[in-house]
Amino acid sequence: MADDGIVNRYQVLEELGRGSFGVVYKGIDKVTGETVAIKHIDLESSEDDIQEIQQEISVLSTCASSYVTQYKASFLRGHKLWIVMEYLGGGSCLDLLKSGNFNEVQIAIICRELLLGLDYLHSEGKIHRDIKAANVLLSETGKVKLADFGVAAQLTYMKSQRNTFVGTPFWMAPEVIQQAGYDFKADVWSLGITAIELALGEPPHANMHPMKVLFHIPKSPPPRLEGKFSKEFKDFVAQCLVKDPDHRPAARDLLKHRFIRSAGKVEALQELIQRKRMADARADHVKHPVYYQETLHTISPRDEADEWVFDTIKSVAPPPPPPREQRRGTIRSSNVRRPSASIHVVDDALRKLDLKEAPLGQPGTPPTVRRATMLRQPSSAATGRQDSVRRRRSNGASHSPRPSQTPASASAAAAAAAAAAAPKRPLQPDMSFGNSGSTMRLFRRVPSDGSDHGRFRSASQSSSCEFADENQPPSRSPSASSFYAHAAPPVEPNSKEALLGRRLYTRALGPCLDELHAQTAASSKRDALARVSDALAYLDAVDPEGAYHLMRSLVSALGQDHKLSAAFLPQHQQPSSPPGGNAHGRNPSASSAISSARPDYSEGYSLAAGSGTVLIRSPSASRPSTATATSSSTTLAGTPPTPSKMLRRGSLAPPEHHEQQLLQQQQRDRERDKERERERERERERERERERERERLESCFPGRPAQPGMEHCKALSDLLYARWTDGLRARWGVLTNS
Amino acid sequence: MSFLFGRARSRANTADLVKQARDHVTKLEGPQGPAKAEELAKVLSQMKQILQGTHDSEPNTDQIYQLVTSMIDEDLLYLLAVHLHQLPFESRKDTQVIFSYVFRFRPPTGPQKPEPLALAYVVEHRPQVLIALCRGYDHKESATPAGTVLREVLKNEAAAAIILYDDGDEPGSSSRGIGGIDPDRPQSGRGVFWSFFDWIDKSSFEVSADAFTTFRELITKHKDLVPRYLAVNFELFFERYNRVLVQSNSYVTKRQSIKLLGEILLDRSNYNIMTAYVDRGEHLKICMNLLRDDRKMVQYEGFHVFKVFVANPHKSVPVQKILIMNREKLLQFLSHFLEDRTEDEQFIDEREFLIKQIRNLPPAPVPPQPR
Repeated sequence: MADDGIVNRYQVLEELGRGSFGVVYKGIDKVTGETVAIKHIDLESSEDDIQEIQQEISVLSTCASSYVTQYKASFLRGHKLWIVMEYLGGGSCLDLLKSGNFNEVQIAIICRELLLGLDYLHSEGKIHRDIKAANVLLSETGKVKLADFGVAAQLTYMKSQRNTFVGTPFWMAPEVIQQAGYDFKADVWSLGITAIELALGEPPHANMHPMKVLFHIPKSPPPRLEGKFSKEFKDFVAQCLVKDPDHRPAARDLLKHRFIRSAGKVEALQELIQRKRMADARADHVKHPVYYQETLHTISPRDEADEWVFDTIKSVAPPPPPPREQRRGTIRSSNVRRPSASIHVVDDALRKLDLKEAPLGQPGTPPTVRRATMLRQPSSAATGRQDSVRRRRSNGASHSPRPSQTPASASAAAAAAAAAAAPKRPLQPDMSFGNSGSTMRLFRRVPSDGSDHGRFRSASQSSSCEFADENQPPSRSPSASSFYAHAAPPVEPNSKEALLGRRLYTRALGPCLDELHAQTAASSKRDALARVSDALAYLDAVDPEGAYHLMRSLVSALGQDHKLSAAFLPQHQQPSSPPGGNAHGRNPSASSAISSARPDYSEGYSLAAGSGTVLIRSPSASRPSTATATSSSTTLAGTPPTPSKMLRRGSLAPPEHHEQQLLQQQQRDRERDKERERERERERERERERERERERLESCFPGRPAQPGMEHCKALSDLLYARWTDGLRARWGVLTNS
Repeated sequence: MSFLFGRARSRANTADLVKQARDHVTKLEGPQGPAKAEELAKVLSQMKQILQGTHDSEPNTDQIYQLVTSMIDEDLLYLLAVHLHQLPFESRKDTQVIFSYVFRFRPPTGPQKPEPLALAYVVEHRPQVLIALCRGYDHKESATPAGTVLREVLKNEAAAAIILYDDGDEPGSSSRGIGGIDPDRPQSGRGVFWSFFDWIDKSSFEVSADAFTTFRELITKHKDLVPRYLAVNFELFFERYNRVLVQSNSYVTKRQSIKLLGEILLDRSNYNIMTAYVDRGEHLKICMNLLRDDRKMVQYEGFHVFKVFVANPHKSVPVQKILIMNREKLLQFLSHFLEDRTEDEQFIDEREFLIKQIRNLPPAPVPPQPR
């Protein structure tokens, strides 16, 4: 390939940082001797369109300004994309903030440089859309540069406007949130917020839930800089934060502001870098640089028996097409084997090869070599970043919302420790150097494998083991369940029942217990719950099938008792009530962010929740409100690509109840008392929802008799299944006629 | 020379600007190349300003009209497209902006054609401009600006047709304008459209990805033009598509093109293409091998093509044969296929559906009922 030569041009050195988009390494350009930053993006772990990454690159590659981090090259290596960028040794402003707020002199310089950068971008027809301290990098000499074009937009029509909802909530301009159409002025607003961030250490409303901020910003008067600051500075911020974009000055106009005109030289910023280095040196943790190691990618040789059988038995087959077959052989010399004689060899090896070698659904899992490195020294480099975050947040942690990730299934002590250990603000990702990566993808990738995965990860983080294998069965309270973990090895589910059992645990039992635990205040009760949780986790680890049978008989027992079934299963007959949409979706007391957020979703927006920058996709043409039963048939049968693609990429538009779960989780701590009752109601409903879904799934396996007391479910699921297949048939029929 | 620029700027004599640009661009390769490039850069940036307006002044429609017509007269669009890769960095971006504005410009008065003025001229009389823009993918420098212009222009069906039906001097090629196209004549495979396969497969990541984006636009945008084109050139297109793109060594090309294949097949307007495609046993073989790729996203994209074969109610005998021969393997394989994808309900549903379909296949191939 054409990229081969350029790969060897760069020598990769130690790691600078990592985020869910991938890892940033320091590197050396062997031709020029220059130090560079190299971002490795693992495309295998990225669900979303590679086109979007390419969009970022094309925006970057057309920038040539000393105020913008210089793009150098990008190339593919296997399924890793390497993006080579200018190396900036000073780190991001967010990094530098960790050792103290900036003074006015420094802020004035930074703002001037940023305005120059913005003026350049805007004159090029580009909107950055994600200006914040984390995306402002400093060189060793104090030069200020804009970074992270993950969400930047290129306008081809100079006067056109954008409608995409993108950015990071705290820094977002009102017109962006309202999706009223916005232009370059949106960056000016974000600059104003960034100025406040630099002065005070965090943006306005930082203690507010990010989702709530989204509703707060357009409604309330613009934030003002308060405190012992000069009149000029305060006025500058006020100018940036004019709510009406038409009255907000452009970047070029602001360069004439007194605060900016009196700003000094960039060299003064070296002070900030020095201060940070001193602080780092004082901190007692030693940094162990993590060096890049080539991933050894061995492809296990495959048995001939593994391959599909295409043309062995001539008697069955009409004449095969041999000439093309020959050619295929030469082209795909690596994989295609001549067909073997045996046809019906069902091989376990096949399964092992295919599935173990490509573990799925764990985006961002680093290659084996790297992970081993990190596991051996989990306390240093891995937690160093957390340390600093913790220090920074320690004063704010008391009133800042409890993060959603609190691993509630852990024992009470572990939970408390974890809560203290991970006081990350929700939607505020780890932003230490280099991690600011591509926030758009970061944001969308995190939830794509499900909210409960996210919790697993943070649970393992709290036990200072950042790169724990997410694939392992979830034994989530390290202290208590370690006993279990040693007692018996976890099993891989390999029957339908076991798979459902595992699903039952990860989707229903685990999250429910987490929620219940989070709602419970009394420590003895929490303890009891934690034990139940551990026991269930253990059961799931060693016998998911057992969990399945337990739940099954539970449900059928409930169904047989009138009172119990009335209490727990009253809505079984309602096939397609939108998940969680009845009780609270349009609740009049919708002052809380969550309930006011809900109508948006039901109108077809998909909000990828998680942390960092938000990107909300505009509603696709049609979003089926009924269950997946119908949507499957549409995709299979070939609707126009846009809606079907949206549906097909389930993770791009995650099922509503995931978002709901996540949001609720985040919301709960503050809204606990108010929400508790409704919460439980929803909780139960969700459980029922899952139950229904499971039933439907099962009914797809033919010949399964209805359990006693569950006949109505069987009928329902049969009906749904039939409808699905009919729809499919109808669809193909329609096409035949057209 | 400098007084000339001064005059051009103050009087904004647009026709002069175009003549200067033409003069400079033709001498780029000569001994004075660097100097000419510098002067050209100034002229181009002035032209951009005329089209865009400045901070203080709105663009003047009369001036733009004059600029566009003299660009047509001087054949400057073609010259700029051909020499795009030789221009300096900023000038390439300016040229991209100029092209975008010129191809969008409609005179405010007079008879209106479906195409904007310059685009109508190009598709009718000077299709080489579009071909030259495509050839921008030959060079790393010109790939992005040319690609950006192309994607905008290709929204127009006539422009897309020019590129699809370019076939050198063959009769029925688009080289003599949109009117000369013979859509029923099979392509030789040497036209500019077929070069996209190589640009996508062989170029560096940046060029390849940009070329692929343009290719995708070309193939998915026009619901009348493309199905007809694919029907006439079915063999050529899919043979090359599968050989060059789906089996590409580049991860990105492979994954993107499998995904695009799924999109093409599931597009309602391509119904006949789809049925023809899923009748072929060798297409199914390629697809089944994708399911066993080492990379899970390739497997996943492959699945979305595979499902079309299995869900087809009128499976051809060769397809049935392959599925039946591999029935047990497939059932075993699919029951564990991408099983970590527990959140993707639609995928799980579809997988279950396919398992059921394969399980219920007849013991021996049954010729499909005539549709």
